[in-house]
Amino acid sequence: MKNLTFIIAFIIVLITSNCNNNSNVVVVYTTVDQIFSEPVLKEFESGTGITVKVVYDTEETKSTGVLNRLIAEKDNPQCDVFWSGDPVRTIILKNRGITTPFQSQVANDIDMVFKDPDYHWTGFSARARVLIYNKNLLAAADVPRSIFDLTKEQYSGKVAIANPLFGTTTFHIAAIFTAVGDEKAKQFLADLKSNAVVIATSNGDVKKRVVQGEIACGLTDTDDAWEAIKEGANVGIVFLDQQGIGSLIMPNTVSLINNSPHPANAKKLMDYLLSKETEAKLAKSCAQMPLHKGVEIPGNIPSLDNIIPMKIDYDKTAKKLEEIQYYLKEWAEN
Amino acid sequence: MGRKLIEHPFYAIIFGSFVFFIVIPVAYTLGTALFADSSLTDNLQLLNKDTFLLLAKSCIIAFSIALLSTLFGTALGFLLYKTQVPFRSFFKIALLIPLFISPYILAVAWKDFFFLLFNNTDFISSYIGVILVLTSIFTPLSMLIVGSALANINAQLEETGFVITDFRSVIFKIMLPLIKPALITSFVLVFIFSISEFSVPAFFGVKVFTTEIFTQFSAFYNHSLAILQSALLILLCVLLLLSERKYIADAPFLSVSGKGKSTKFYNLENKKWISLFFLAGWFFISVILPFIVLIVQSFQDGIAKFVQAFELLKPTFGNSLGLALAGALITVFIGFTVAYPTWSGVETKSGKSFDWLLLVVFAIPSTILGISLIKFYNHPILDFIYSGYAIILIGYTAKFSFISAKLIGNAIMQIPNSLDEAAQIEGIALSKRIQKILIPLIMPALFAAFVINFIFCLGELGITIMLYPPGTEIMPIKVFTIMANAPQSLTSSMTLIVFSVTLLIIACLYFIGKTFFKDYSNVNN
Repeated sequence: MKNLTFIIAFIIVLITSNCNNNSNVVVVYTTVDQIFSEPVLKEFESGTGITVKVVYDTEETKSTGVLNRLIAEKDNPQCDVFWSGDPVRTIILKNRGITTPFQSQVANDIDMVFKDPDYHWTGFSARARVLIYNKNLLAAADVPRSIFDLTKEQYSGKVAIANPLFGTTTFHIAAIFTAVGDEKAKQFLADLKSNAVVIATSNGDVKKRVVQGEIACGLTDTDDAWEAIKEGANVGIVFLDQQGIGSLIMPNTVSLINNSPHPANAKKLMDYLLSKETEAKLAKSCAQMPLHKGVEIPGNIPSLDNIIPMKIDYDKTAKKLEEIQYYLKEWAEN
Repeated sequence: MGRKLIEHPFYAIIFGSFVFFIVIPVAYTLGTALFADSSLTDNLQLLNKDTFLLLAKSCIIAFSIALLSTLFGTALGFLLYKTQVPFRSFFKIALLIPLFISPYILAVAWKDFFFLLFNNTDFISSYIGVILVLTSIFTPLSMLIVGSALANINAQLEETGFVITDFRSVIFKIMLPLIKPALITSFVLVFIFSISEFSVPAFFGVKVFTTEIFTQFSAFYNHSLAILQSALLILLCVLLLLSERKYIADAPFLSVSGKGKSTKFYNLENKKWISLFFLAGWFFISVILPFIVLIVQSFQDGIAKFVQAFELLKPTFGNSLGLALAGALITVFIGFTVAYPTWSGVETKSGKSFDWLLLVVFAIPSTILGISLIKFYNHPILDFIYSGYAIILIGYTAKFSFISAKLIGNAIMQIPNSLDEAAQIEGIALSKRIQKILIPLIMPALFAAFVINFIFCLGELGITIMLYPPGTEIMPIKVFTIMANAPQSLTSSMTLIVFSVTLLIIACLYFIGKTFFKDYSNVNN
């Protein structure tokens, strides 16, 4: 009986030990890799004294676990701030009424193209879609310069792309549909398939295959590519279509959750994330390109001033994405 | 007497709590998802020929894994439980390791191994790869189930057989028919685990039914269709378990009591070294190879990443161990509550329905279970549950109570009724009989159920990732959230640490069990 009492007491203590009674808290759900987002959030915590409670996502769930959780929690939100690595997920949440407008004064000088017209999300620190290539397998002269080059016979079986149903690859393909029209985009995908493109499980998998030399080149995000370089891999990066449709730029986005439990702290955190200081930190840690003017960045990090961006409307591209998803599923699986 | 037992208030409280905390949330979510806004009619139309073809394909893969695992598990079980092969105590524990490591991590290690060796991963990134990796993971489960059944065969039956016939006939005419229920149980359970597995086929880029559910859930956000597809999977699993129950009538498996029975050991003679080679080979392939890959990757940049990995994981150890401990205690408690009415054959309808509820909940995919719990518990009035560890413990209880109930139930079935009957004649109360007769006799089984569920809770990812409270540090979650974009050496180091912690715990619990239950001859079985 004594043992049973002890066990019950232990379980009760454990159950109640994590119940939060602290009101000076902000709850963040993020799809940004923990290795990059955690240091930023820790600095906010130490600078303001506001406890930051975070839910991170995993590669295994293709960073969709947090989004599904936000959707499931819609009627009684637990989260205050959603920090996304791209605008796609944020737009899904906006369309489902999960986010609410917040116009941060800190982001006034960020171009409107990187903001939701109704301020349901605001962009900062951007990544770009790039081609990563293995220098041992592709000579500089042979490296593709346009995404449409990937359908050429010389790259048959040498190109990898992540599953286009998930993550930034989905948005990239939707952006191509928006930029060149449905017919041309579908032809491009059909040609890519005929050219024996390798469909990897994620952008990280694309990077890994190129780094290991399993595949000559592949489409990925700048942070993945820079991480490979940082690790000393013999790879190069190309911003595609600088003479054509441009490279897709994907800002991080931050949104305030509708009926969030700690809105005041949420707004403080959003201001912090949208600040020049955060952009400088993310530029240093994961080569993200600042959207504010005049942010100091390391010399080897590209600046948006030197890249021709793909001219897209993020909202329209998100709508296009919903339109083409079944087509993409068919393309990826058959 | 039976009615009295079932109507025991303690049993009623546990039964009622399980229904309230777990069954109602799941039924609520399934009901609202399937019947809201005519979605059932719309989605039923989407369950077309392709859906059923995909389900059939997944069944074939799961069938292959179940068959191979049961075959290899039987061979390994025979060597370890029916012969005196050298180092058998070591192998009994060591060969279980893949069962307790996340399938995703093993899939990553296997893919890297193929690349290191062949510079190509096409072979492993295929149906064959999924079958091979999952077979290596689930064979220990078959080994445990079949091995326990082999150990529990009454030696007299075999001895009598040898008097009148040869070894081959004893195997095929006596031993195999006797362990047929365990073989079927092994096949059915591995089939269910395999068909429900998502991470390995997803990582290898192989389309199966679970990846389709995931796509509907996470790419199309069509929760209704995902739940409907999951319902098909649940139905299939329940039908399989139903047929297993109907035809083998709860035959003992994973039995760890067997007190009083003697086991006949076979002399391997000149086949001793070949058998040892087979065991060592299996150990090398299923445990050492992935371990070597992790070590090579962990230390390729020196020791710094390993140290960093340890620092990252350090804050998670306390929470994870505490949660696993509480999860194991609760599931063992529930397992015992479900199983004890079978003692003396007093099980009634309510006892059976509790058993069935555990089984149905066990068959629900983790993501669906997680979403169900969120939708039900995420209300202001239940915030004290949802915002704390209680929600994770509810998830563990839903997922693992079936395992402990099965383990403990089979141990209880082996206790002779005469013991209870004698105590009843003496007028001893039920609570006293449970305390003084039943619990001491099944203590090794309770401990085994505790150990197995402790390890399962410690590595659980599917539900935990959906439910973990913001700001909480839990070991498997940390490994998987850090994995994205971290250097290979860091993620391998973290995996290696988790691998080592699990190993250490298995070893500690094994020695605790050995010390405390040395009187129970079959505890190691």
